[in-house]
Order: sequence, then structure tokens, then C-alpha cells
Amino acid sequence: MISNHLPVYILILLLISAVTTPAIKPSSKKFRPKLVGTLTIASLLALTMFIVVWTNGPFYYNFGNWDSVIGIEFFVDEYTSLFVLAVLLISLLIIIFSLEDILHDIPKEKTPHYYTLMLLMVFSMLGMIMTNDLFNLYVFMEILSLTSCGVISIKRNKANIMASFKYLMLGTIGSVSILLGIAMLYMVTGHLNMGATSQTISSVWQMYPRNILISLSFILTGLGLKAAIFPLHVWLPDAHSAAPTPSSAILSGIVIKIYAFSMIKILFRVIGIDIIKAISINEYLTYFAVISIVMGSVFAIGQKDIKRLLAYSSVSQIGYVFLGIGIATEMGLVAGMYHIIAHAMMKSTLFLSAGAVIYRTGIRKVNEFDGLGYELPLTLGAFSIAALGMIGIPGVNGFMSKWYLGLAAFEIGKPIFIIFILISSFLNAVYFLPIVISAFLKESNRREQIMIRDDIPFTMKAPLVVLGAACIVTGLFPNIIVNVIQRALPTFMTFVF
Amino acid sequence: MANLDMILDNINYIGAFTLFIIGLYTVLTHSNLLKRVIGVNIMETAVFLFFVSIGYIKGASAPILDQITGESFYVNPLPSAMILTGIVVAVSITAYGLSLLINLYKEYGTLELDEIISKEEKAND
Amino acid sequence: MKKKMKKAKQKFDQLILKIFPDIFCVNCVLVFVIYLMIILLVGIATTIGLGGGPLSLSNPDSFLSKIGSFISSFEALPLIIILLPILGGPLEAIIGKKSSILRDTLVVNTTFITFILIVLMYPQVMRGGLSFSLPGVLGFGLNFNVDILSYILAITSGILWLFVSIYAHDYMDHEKHQNRFFLWKSITFGGVLGTLMAGDLFTMFLFFEIMTFSSYVLVAHNQSNESMLAGNSYIFIGVVGGLSILLGMLMLYAYTGTLEFVPLASQLAAIGWPKYIMVGLFVIGFGIKAGMLPLHIWLPKAHPVAPTPASALLSGILIKIGAYGLLRLTISVFMPNPQEITGFLDPLWDVSRNLGVMIIWAGIITMAVGAFLALQQCEMKKLLAYSSISQIGYIIMGVGVTAYLGYMGAMGYAGTLYHIINHAFFKSLLFMVAGVVFYQTNELNMFKLGGLWKKLPLTALLCLIAIMGIIGMPLFNGFISKSLLHHGIVEAYEYGHASFKYAELIFRIVSIGTVAYYMKFFISVFLGELPEKFKNIGGEKGMMDLAMGGLALLIIAIGHVPHFLMDRFIIPSARALTYDPAFIKKYLVDIEFFTYSEISGMFWIFVFGILLYIAGTRFKLFQLTFYECLDIDKGLYKPMYNGVVSISRKFTEKFEDKIINNDVVIYSAILMVIMFFLLWFT
Repeated sequence: MISNHLPVYILILLLISAVTTPAIKPSSKKFRPKLVGTLTIASLLALTMFIVVWTNGPFYYNFGNWDSVIGIEFFVDEYTSLFVLAVLLISLLIIIFSLEDILHDIPKEKTPHYYTLMLLMVFSMLGMIMTNDLFNLYVFMEILSLTSCGVISIKRNKANIMASFKYLMLGTIGSVSILLGIAMLYMVTGHLNMGATSQTISSVWQMYPRNILISLSFILTGLGLKAAIFPLHVWLPDAHSAAPTPSSAILSGIVIKIYAFSMIKILFRVIGIDIIKAISINEYLTYFAVISIVMGSVFAIGQKDIKRLLAYSSVSQIGYVFLGIGIATEMGLVAGMYHIIAHAMMKSTLFLSAGAVIYRTGIRKVNEFDGLGYELPLTLGAFSIAALGMIGIPGVNGFMSKWYLGLAAFEIGKPIFIIFILISSFLNAVYFLPIVISAFLKESNRREQIMIRDDIPFTMKAPLVVLGAACIVTGLFPNIIVNVIQRALPTFMTFVF
Repeated sequence: MANLDMILDNINYIGAFTLFIIGLYTVLTHSNLLKRVIGVNIMETAVFLFFVSIGYIKGASAPILDQITGESFYVNPLPSAMILTGIVVAVSITAYGLSLLINLYKEYGTLELDEIISKEEKAND
Repeated sequence: MKKKMKKAKQKFDQLILKIFPDIFCVNCVLVFVIYLMIILLVGIATTIGLGGGPLSLSNPDSFLSKIGSFISSFEALPLIIILLPILGGPLEAIIGKKSSILRDTLVVNTTFITFILIVLMYPQVMRGGLSFSLPGVLGFGLNFNVDILSYILAITSGILWLFVSIYAHDYMDHEKHQNRFFLWKSITFGGVLGTLMAGDLFTMFLFFEIMTFSSYVLVAHNQSNESMLAGNSYIFIGVVGGLSILLGMLMLYAYTGTLEFVPLASQLAAIGWPKYIMVGLFVIGFGIKAGMLPLHIWLPKAHPVAPTPASALLSGILIKIGAYGLLRLTISVFMPNPQEITGFLDPLWDVSRNLGVMIIWAGIITMAVGAFLALQQCEMKKLLAYSSISQIGYIIMGVGVTAYLGYMGAMGYAGTLYHIINHAFFKSLLFMVAGVVFYQTNELNMFKLGGLWKKLPLTALLCLIAIMGIIGMPLFNGFISKSLLHHGIVEAYEYGHASFKYAELIFRIVSIGTVAYYMKFFISVFLGELPEKFKNIGGEKGMMDLAMGGLALLIIAIGHVPHFLMDRFIIPSARALTYDPAFIKKYLVDIEFFTYSEISGMFWIFVFGILLYIAGTRFKLFQLTFYECLDIDKGLYKPMYNGVVSISRKFTEKFEDKIINNDVVIYSAILMVIMFFLLWFT
């Protein structure tokens, strides 16, 4: 009984908790336990859902028991439930981190509003992941858009408001573009449900090819704008560098991936792999991906502010995901989807440790990191682990995605992509290694070089340790994730209604 | 003249696309941020128009349940319902954007993007 | 706060010293004695032939034989051997905060226990290799496969690490950040053992990267400007090497579907021209680690600037890992299956042959340039670093001969392996000697030293022993490996292309040069006049001498009993590979080392070397300066790195703002472009 409605329980739990958060005073004792407790219960529900799907197979959930064609449908397969679980766990860790950290960005009375926005963000992300209906995707996407602008502008800084405004405008243009694409698809297929659309699309393709192509171009440009592919990434550096740390972490780590995952769903489930190969749209995706991979790193090298550097690094890493999608084979999808989860962990670790450094010492410039390893060893240790993963050292999960991408590139006979991946690994080393080296090995005249315990609150230390350990564990045992992906692959490669 | 008929039949769609391009043009060229918000609004309206006109069937009646008897056509109610949601979203985005603009005006005293950028550069130097 | 902690440490140390007078020295001497016993036992056991089956004593149920059979069938030994130093490192660092004596004792003991465990692998290795895999890790599973080649190198690393740990206690008194040093030294040990015992390329790559990153911390230890620059050079080039190996691995896996060390020449032959790219990538990747020209530039910067124990390890083992990687690939991936070939001229050997030519010449150039630059140095450690480059040239040449001669490559293989072991011992001994001199005098420039034999007589004697080894004096171990390598290169031009005659000529000239520059080293540092300011330096330090003495004993022992290593380890290892058994039987078994031609050849090399030295000092040949443009580092690598960084910076400055301010333009442009492409081309 319970297991049938699990997706809804998670969503309702988050929604109710988001709406009732402003009712509690931030200084009361119940505030923090309530937040953390909500997310923990949601994670446990997601874990249950994952176990149910793993043992019983994917299932469809129809809202209100309306038929799929008329009503809204959620489709939960193995990878979707794993992704939901990952999103909830990472958001839980980020919100634990933010309990102390947010106080130096916004005044205490506003924290309930902030957490409302965060919980709504998680809510909409989960909706976007699980949905099987195009317009529902649009609605959740809009909620996500609004709340993610909200968590940036909640800090009343000039830079924040400007960045948030730019993100809002560009995000809206993206959403409008996507809606136009969805409309054109609806025009020819008459369905909004992804399954039903995919069934009719092969016959429609013979009659109205132009329609589908135009709609595809609108959708891809819109999703690319929101997922921050180069050169559509322009809102990302300002937004992610100005935002408070937990927001940057969740935005850079998870939000942009959701859009990439939506692209996977639309491309593979709605349009179907035959049409994709026929119009070779995946090739164009790979070109954009490769440009994004290299240019993201090139721009990152020239940055002086650490958060901006990490934001550009996200542009580069999203390129990997798109490269995996573009190589539209099984191995490519495995690589792309693995990198979604792997990068979520790594980027959150990086942003959270940068945030801890800023919280403790106020240092934001990359060349002022000298000697920080002795003052904040745990923080910079987590940073180093994630940085090594970005460079591609075996043992951390970043390496496995590069390996899978390399294998996929060889499979389709285009080894040139691997050269680009390796160039970007080298460029990642160029900008990450100096930070790690100067933190641990440079003398600084501000402090002596004895290692002391981090002087940051426990709520900030714990997520860093857990995320760093998770990076290493998924790096040493990638099969945890890869097996799940491989089980779910048939639903992407040949979607049966 | 078949062309004119075709244009008249699809006037909604052509109008929607024209509006979209006008809106995009507004956002592209004007540097006043308020005009950009208006431009985005125009783009959204264009898409709504497009979506709704998908459901329209010439010569069909309104989709009210009591009125229809037998095998007559009725306009597809689904897009209209969707677009109501869409309009709500557009309104909330506009409201949010405008409130951000108010704050920007308080900080900078101007809403022109060029002037804001030059003020930022002066502040950085 | 620092002073308080230091005082607390000193108090704790004194407390321990009161309880056990100098526990460290006692511990080390004990370890040394046990080590000697083990070596003797192993020697006796293998001579009698106890290597093979389970240790069966007269009473099969007795406790000892039960332990014996347990040991000889315990499969997870490689994993424990690797985990022990990696986990012991943090433990040592934690204990090191309280007391440095306890920490150093723990370091020595951990290393010693690891060494004993390595020795305990002997029965299983002799039975035909010890295989162990951990499935599921890293998607492929970790594979450990210890055959005789890995085993002998693992024992060498174990011995080396043991002695360096004993040595490091006294040496590190003068250095800061000791805990960090010992922590990363242990982790490097784990990485090295992992690389050596790996059974497929993937596992090897994992431990290779761990080793690179942990040895970086050792290189940059001093945190001076020079150290940081050397460290930057080391790690960036190391990362490039790792990426090159990764690309090679990807190609190998994509084309052949396996990464294990099995004979793959037939599959390779079917690939066509991409196999040369793959081979080239592997050579570049492992060559960077080994210090092959022109990828060697990090070596002369990194080895001098590291603290001496680290330099000894870097020069002793870490660069050999690069050569080991190349050797491993040559004897497994590029070698055909024994059943598939018909003899020396089988076309399946072609890949190996072409590879061999390239590697032989790379080795020769490395040898020559290394020796030439070593002649020009005036700083002790830099001379030893360039000498390492030169000796690695020997080893790489040996790898090349192995590859080139294919079926008849057993001699080259034997020479390479022998020289790897020998060089590990005498180079680390030389570095330790240089370290002792630096520790007492704080001076690295050879021309400012002199006459130190009066103050450090034992060190001078040990240095002499090491030099005798490295120049190839008969009755010391270098003679054996150099004559094997010489036989190898002679065979290369006898069985192969005649142009290798020049290679052999350069080989002889480089040996002459080696004699010359080591004479320069010894004479400038130990003989001559003792400068005024060094009249009052301290004398010998007990533990450092113990460590150095252990290595010297090995040098002399191997030199006197060359057949021990040959018969017990090298020939069985060669027999397991696809080499002509008749060749091995004729040329390698019971090889005569002390023949008249060999010794007279050596004699002439010594004479010429002495002449070169006298000519050099007379005509000031040893202090040439170069044109800046010939310096590869400044000419090629630094501009590349700076180019990357500056291009990025320029890009960012010029374009970043423009792109950000024209956001919507970009959106419309992309939209148009995509629509155009989609509509036009379908």
C-alpha cells in the first residue's frame, strides 16, 4: 500500500514542510531539528522507493488514478530512484552545512524564508526527475527556476541582485523556449505524456519532420541555456559566485544536472534513438560538449575568485555529461549518468569547503590560500580529495567517468574526444593543483605551520567529511552506481509505453 | 491564393512567432532592464498564444460539458488549462523580476544596463 | 605554541630515553641482525632447494610446518603488504606528535615487518606466481600477480626502504615537518609495492598515481622556492605522464579488450597503424617517470632538492618503476605467446623489434647526455641526479635490447633486471653519503669541500665501495650488470642491424665518462685539503653508518656471488617468458663473468677514465656553461606551461566580459545555428 504512493509522499512531505517553515521562529529550538528531520525522513522514503524499484522493477504512478494519456504520470525506474536518493542526501548535507553558514550572509529573521526556498527547490527537482509528462516538466522547471533565483537574491547585495536578475531573465527565456518546443511537439503528436508521445512520434516523423526539428532545436537551446553549456553559460559565473555558499553548492552541484537529465529523458524517451541517429543531433551535442569542456577550463584558469573558478569548472564538467549524452550509445549514457552523480558529490564538496574557508577567514582570492591547510586541515583535505577527482586520479569518482567516456568514445570510433578529455584533465590540474599545493605547502606569514583542528562548527565539518568519503567510496566501488544505471538503460534506449 | 488561405488559417501561429521574435528583439536591443522584462513578457505571451491556438478547431463549440450532446466537435480544453498555469507562472516571474528591479534602482539609481556596468567598473577600479 | 609543543616532545623523548637508553639504536641493530639472518637463511634455503612446495619438515603435523603451509598458501599477502605501510603512515604521524623516537622506531619496524612479509611470499612465487584479485574495486577489480620479476624488485624496494628508514632518523634531525615526511614516505612505499605487484595495467595505474602524488610531497618538503619550483615541475610532468598512460590504456582496452599482462602480440599485429601511437603513448608515459630524455627535466631539479632519504628513494626505486613499466609491457603485451611463434624471425616479433630500436636509441641518448651533464656539475646531489639519468639510460637500453632481439632477448632482460637491482643499491648508498656530508658540513658544492676522509673515514670507505660498484670494478656488483648489458648490445648488432655498433661504442664512452665524473666526486669531496671551517664538524653517526654499511655489504656480496641472483631469480624469470630456451641454456646458465676479455675491457675503460679526469681538471673541461637555448627546460617546457596559463588569462580578460554582456545575442545566435543545421541537412 505504502509503496505505491511513495513518490507522492516524498513530494508532499517536502511541500508541507516548505510551506510551514516560515511559521516557526528561527531562534526556537525546534527549527533545526524540523528541517533536518524532514529531509532525513524524505531520504528514508527515497531509500525505500529505491529498494522497491530495485526488487520489483520500474513502475508508473498515475496521479489521481487518471489514465496516463489524460493525467499526470510519474515514471520511476532504477536510475531515477537512485538520482532522487542522491539529490535528497546531498541536499540534506548541504542544508546541515547551511545551518551555521547562512547566518553570516543573511539576517537571522530571514532564514525561514531561505529554507522555504531551499525545500521548494528540492521539491521541484524531485518532481522534474520523476515526471513523465512534458507540461508537468515545464511546471516543475518553473518552480525550480524561481526558487533558484530566490536563493541567490536572498542576500541583499548589489552583485547578488544583478546576478539573480540576469539568471531570471535568461532562465525565463530558456523556459519559454522549452515551452515553445513542447508546444510544437504537442501540435503534431497530440500528447503531452512522454510515453504516448514516443509512440506516435515515429509515424509523425514521416509526416511532419520539420516540426519536430524546429521543436527539438528550441528545446535543446532552452535546456542548454539552463544547464549552462558554453556559450550559453553566461549567467553561471555571476550567479554561482555571488550566491551564499549553500545555494552555490546546490545550484552548481545538482540543479544544472537536473536539466541535463531532462534532456536525456526528452531525447531518448520522447524522440527515441532512431530519430536521433537519423538527424545526427547527437553529433552537434558532442561538438558543443567538447567546446564547453575546453573553454570552461580555459576560463577557469584565468579566475582569481575561488567561487567563480568553481563555477567555470562546472561549465566544463557539464560538458562531460553532454559528451556522454552525445555519444548516444549505452556506454556513453552510462558515463554521462554516472558523471551526473559523481560530479554532484565532487562539486558540492568543493563549494562547501570553499564556503567553510570564507566563513572562517574571509579569504576569497585563490592566491591567498597560502598555508590554509594548517588552519583548516579537514576542510582543505576534503577540497583536495574532490580536486584530485576532478583532475582524474584513480580512487576518486571523477576518474571513472573519464574512463567510461574514453571507452564510449572508442566504441563509436572517435578517439579525438578522448584527447579533449585529457587536455581538460591537464587544464583542471593547472588550476586546482596550485590551490592545493599552496594550501598545504606554502609558508605564510599569517600563521605558523602547525596543524590544528578546524575551528568551524560541527554542522559544517560533518557534511564535508561525509561528502569527501562518499567521493572516495564511489570512486573505489563505482559499480554501486553503474549497476543501477545499466539496469535502467533499457528504459532509455527503447522506451516501451 | 491558396497561399493567402493558408496564411489566414494559420494566422495564430504566425502571429505567435512574430510576437516571439518581437519579444526576443526587445530583449536583444534595449539596454533598459524594465524593457527587457517587458520583452520577456511578450515572448511568454507569444508562446501562450501558440499553445492555445493548437487546441482551436474551426467551427467547434466551447468545451462545456452540459452543452455538448451527440457527436459534435468541441475545442480542446487541455491547452487552455495548461496555459492558465503558464500565465500564473509568467505573472509570478514578472512580479519577482520587477521587485528585483526596484532593489536595483535603489542601489544604482538607474535601470540602464550600460550605466550599471560602467558604475560597476568604476567601483572595481 | 610551537615552542610549547617542541618542549613537550623533548620532555617525552627524555622520559623514554631514561627508561630505555636509546631505544632506537637498539631497535635498529636488532633489526639489522635479524635482516642478516633472513638473507642468509633465504640464501641457504634456496640453494638447498627448499623453495618449491610447502615447507615439509619431518613431522607434518607440527606447529612449524602448519605455519609453513599456512604461509605458503595465504593468498591475500599482496593486499596486506600494500595496506601495511599505507595504514601505518597515519599511525606514525599520530605517534610522531608525541615523540619522535617512538615514531622512528615504529617506522623502522613497520618497514621491517613489510619486508618480512615480502620474503614470506617466496614459496608461492616460486611455485608459479601469486595471484590475488579483489573484484568490484574500481569497476574492474584489483588484480595482483606476483611473479619472479615483481618479487625480486619488491625485495629490493623492501631492503632499500628499510635502510633508508634507519638512515632517516638521524638525518631528519635537521629538518622540519618530520611527521609529514614519514607519513608520505610510508604511503609512497605502499604505492611502489602496489605498482610492482600489480597484475594488470589498471591496478598498476592506480598505484602509479598514488605513488606520484605522495612522492610529490617528499620532493617539495623543504618548501623553499627551489623546492616549490622543482615540485611543480615534478607534479605537472607527472600528471602528463599519467594521462599519457591512461590514453594508452584506453586504446589497449578498446582494441584488445583486456588490460592484463598477457602476451598480446598477435592481437596487436592485427590493429594496424594505431598500435604505434599506443606504444608511443606508453613509452612517453613510463619514460617520464623513468627520466628518459627528452622528458627528464624534472629529475635534476627534484632529486637534489628533496631531503636525502627521499632522494635516495627517488633515485633508487621510483625512477625504476618507469623502467619496470616499460619492461613489463615489453615482456608481456608486446610479446607473442610461446605457442604461436616459430623462432627468431617470426613476423609476430615485428612490433617488439620496432619498439626495441626506438627504445635502444632513447636509452643511448639518455646515457650520453646524462653522463656529459654529470661531468659539468659542481653540486654533489646534482651530479648524482645526472648520474641517475645516465644509469637509467643503461637500463632503458637494456629494455630496448630485450624488445629488439625478441626471441633471443634473454641476455638483455637479464642485464636490465640485474642493473635495476644493482643501481638501486649503489645509487642510494651514494645519496646517503652525500647526505652525511651535507648533514655535517651544510655544504653541497664539491669544490668547496675536500679532505673529509679525515673527519668521516667510514663514510669515505663506503663511498669508495659504492663508486667501485657503479663504475663496474670486478668483484663488485656493477661489473656483473654492465657486462651483461654489454653482451646484450653486442648481440643487438650481431643478430640485428649493424648500426648498433655505434651504440656499443657510445656505451663504452659513457662508461669512461662515468669513471671520470665519479673520480671527480670522490676526489673533490674526500681527498685533498680540509677547508678551515670544516675542521670542527662532527664525526660519524652510528645509525647512518649502519644503514650505509648494510647496503655496502650487499654490493660486495652480489659482486662476489653473482650466480646467486642469476640462478635463483633471473633465469627462472626469463624461462617463464617467451625466450628461446636453447639460448638461455647456452648463454645465460653458468655464464662466465670473470673472463679475460671482460676484465681487460674494464681495465682499459678505467685507464681512459682516469686520463679523462686528469685532462678535464687540467684543461678545465668540467665547468662549461651552455647556451640558454639548448636548455630544454627553459626552451620548451616552461614556455609551454606559461603559454597555457597566459593564453587562458588573456582569453578570460578579453572575452569574458564581452560574452557575459551579450547573453541574449548568444542565445539567438545558437538557436539560429541549430535550426539552420537541422533543417538544412535533413
